Amino acid sequence: MTVARRVLLSPLSRPVVVMLAALLLGLFVSDFQKLTFALWVIYGLLALSLDLVWGKAGIFSFGQTAFFGAAAYLYGMIAINVSPTSGETVTALLGAVLGAAVLAAALGYFMFYGKVGDVYVAIITLASTLVLLQVMTSTAGPQYHIGKAELGGYNGMTHIPSMEFGFPGHPGDQMSPADTYTLVVLLAGLTYFAVLLLLRSGFGRVIAAVRENELRTELLGYDVRRAKLIIFAAGGAIAGLAGAVFAGWGNFMNPAPFSLPASALVVIYVLLGGRGTLAGAFLGAVAVEWLSTTLGGVLPSGTTLVVGGILIGVVLLVPGGLIPLFTGLVGRVVPRRPSMRRVLGRPLPARVDGVRGQRLEAHNLVKAFGGVKAIDSVSLDFPARELHCLIGPNGAGKSTFFNLLVGRYSPTAGTILHEGRPITHLQPHERARRGIGIKLQVPSIYRELSVRENVWLAAFAKVHNPPRAAAVGDGVLVRVGLIERAEDPAGDLSHGEQQWLEIGMVLASSPEVILLDEPTAGMTREETLRTVELVRNLAQQATVVVVEHDMEFVQRLDAPVTVLHQGRILARGKLAELRRNEDVLDVYLGRTFRATGG
Amino acid sequence: MHLDQVVAIVVSVLGSVATLLIVSLGLAVIFGLMRVINLAHGEFLMLGAYAALTATRIGVNIWVSILLAGVSVGIFGLVVERLLIRHLYGRILDTMLATWGLSLVLVQAVTLIFGPSTNGIGTPLGSLHVGSYSFSQYSLVLIFAAAAMLTIVFWVFTRTSYGVMARAAVQNPSMAQALGINTARTNMVTFALGSSLAGLAGGLLAPTAGVVPSLGQAFIAQSFMTVIVGGPGVITGTSAASGVLGGSYNLVSYFTTPFIGQAALLVIAIVLLRLMPQGLSGNWRRQL
Repeated sequence: MTVARRVLLSPLSRPVVVMLAALLLGLFVSDFQKLTFALWVIYGLLALSLDLVWGKAGIFSFGQTAFFGAAAYLYGMIAINVSPTSGETVTALLGAVLGAAVLAAALGYFMFYGKVGDVYVAIITLASTLVLLQVMTSTAGPQYHIGKAELGGYNGMTHIPSMEFGFPGHPGDQMSPADTYTLVVLLAGLTYFAVLLLLRSGFGRVIAAVRENELRTELLGYDVRRAKLIIFAAGGAIAGLAGAVFAGWGNFMNPAPFSLPASALVVIYVLLGGRGTLAGAFLGAVAVEWLSTTLGGVLPSGTTLVVGGILIGVVLLVPGGLIPLFTGLVGRVVPRRPSMRRVLGRPLPARVDGVRGQRLEAHNLVKAFGGVKAIDSVSLDFPARELHCLIGPNGAGKSTFFNLLVGRYSPTAGTILHEGRPITHLQPHERARRGIGIKLQVPSIYRELSVRENVWLAAFAKVHNPPRAAAVGDGVLVRVGLIERAEDPAGDLSHGEQQWLEIGMVLASSPEVILLDEPTAGMTREETLRTVELVRNLAQQATVVVVEHDMEFVQRLDAPVTVLHQGRILARGKLAELRRNEDVLDVYLGRTFRATGG
Repeated sequence: MHLDQVVAIVVSVLGSVATLLIVSLGLAVIFGLMRVINLAHGEFLMLGAYAALTATRIGVNIWVSILLAGVSVGIFGLVVERLLIRHLYGRILDTMLATWGLSLVLVQAVTLIFGPSTNGIGTPLGSLHVGSYSFSQYSLVLIFAAAAMLTIVFWVFTRTSYGVMARAAVQNPSMAQALGINTARTNMVTFALGSSLAGLAGGLLAPTAGVVPSLGQAFIAQSFMTVIVGGPGVITGTSAASGVLGGSYNLVSYFTTPFIGQAALLVIAIVLLRLMPQGLSGNWRRQL
């Protein structure tokens, strides 16, 4: 039991054990087998890049083979030109990895900063890969060359140097199959280890948050675009590493990796291995490659048919992947992190401190959709540390106005000021960072994460210090009354509790201004009454703007009310006064013809 | 620049735009009206080309062969919808993966049946001379075919009861069902129609492109880019995107090389998406 066993079972030591086993295996097999195994590990590394991007961050990329292929060509170009004089291929390897990362980052910039949808990301990465296929196949002929390296069109680039580690004047030995195998296993192991460490960092949790609920993560103040860009570039670098090693392994590179069957294979590795399992990427690659090598002997040229068939079969019959199906390992999408729970056990401060409440103003806001003005020149002032309600019948423009304050819409005209500074065109996450906390109408939480992890993510966005974030988070859970349920998955909470959790997440980011959209939607009467207390409590330390439907709730809040109607301000005042206002009664009772006597 | 050169360039640009429109329209109909991404679209084109090839080989008139390509691939699409697609509605990513698998199977199956080598259909009609320039009359046929296909799609979706129901079904499926529209059937018809347009495209392109099993891969990247850049408007968006991308591809190729033209098409498409993530027709009032 004991230390040895604990070390063996710890998740971080498992890759080391597998890696040692793989190296040991290398002592007992022929050179030819070593070269085959090295290729399988290279494909596993490529699959790992997709599992990081797709399985962990939720970005479906058809383009991993594009980064793989581009890096392989880059390695060839640099190695052919440089290594005869320098005696090494390390620069080629690094250059290729860097090149692939830059390519991925450039593509990622246009996709993520353009905020294109998931499906479009898939199509853009696929189309880019196919365009690379066309471009590279049309480079036949000696006129297409980079230095001494001919691109070679359809037939590919030849005479790519093997990996060597020498220095000018003392060229290293060209690597033998055994050395190549060892190097590939070591590189794969190190990469796997680096990915594990990345995912265990604070950034790794943010990545999980992006995958689980992109909108909520943005509203907490995380720059989702940047997080996606970073992970996509990292995936590109890993695919690039696989590609560079591949070129050195085979001394040859052609445009085949850019073709549809090749990109399909990578997806199949990950699907079969179990998406999001990381280690499954290697398992899937080895299983599929072993199968197709075996099949290739029996049924030449039938491999593609089988691959296509597998893809259709898996999607129709076992969408979860084969390995989870057999082992029942699916479990939670996000595994619990024991290390985090230890941090969270600390004593907590009584309340979130350092909050004063700040002023928010809207000046002549206009938002037009096509020819319809949903918001027509609305000016509202929300002074510091006051509670304010916004009501109105359906279609009055409440949601539009709320989304303008949040930053999900950009106004057609007008300005929004926060403490006198314009924030009119800031992204939601930028507003969140300036201290504007946002709760949307539909509960937007991380259903698969525990209640505690939910508030931790919110607090971490502000304090950037894991233990402090944990303390703040627990303080918030006490305030919203969910501390007993801290370990439960948030998706198990009742509807009302989920609303409180989300209010708690807003609180945990210590906002100066809190925007709440229908916080009592779907609540029972008791839950509504408790929410009244919670919201009034919030208003003691921050400016609170509530958009609401429920008149009883608004009455109990006892705050100034603004009535919106057809995109304009109809009336303002206390609810009791508004109940005597004929205009307001008309709008709510539908007496549209009173003025004309109808 | 002389007048004959201007005419030559204009015909060439229009030809590129028309080609892009022809290869994209089927995909745009299926994506725009079903929210289904058919990654086997390129292979549907390829099947159309082989259908036309087979028909001409047994002596059918070339123009009839092209129409037959549309009909046969339409029927094939109907079968695919029944067997595969209808199980995956609402699961966009799974549909992509399954149609991707289908595309691999189709390429391999056609290779096994027809062999991997390139087959050709002679380009009908001769060439036309304008001053010192000449171009094939068939490129004029492609331009007219593109216009005709657009007109037909527009007519079907605005003037027939099926078209109105199909548009209702994609905008609000539950409401459409509540009104008694059989959305399963409209989806089936839409997929068959889109497939048939792809088959027709394959037939039309067969005389100008070599007929090979990998024919689809040559067109699929451009057609996807056209549909994404076009945005939600099936007709307006696809036409506009074909115009911008086809036009710039052609002009860049004309003044440099087709190699750079290809790359330019991709770069322009991606930059356009950064500026207009909803596509060119994203903010237009008429969504067809």
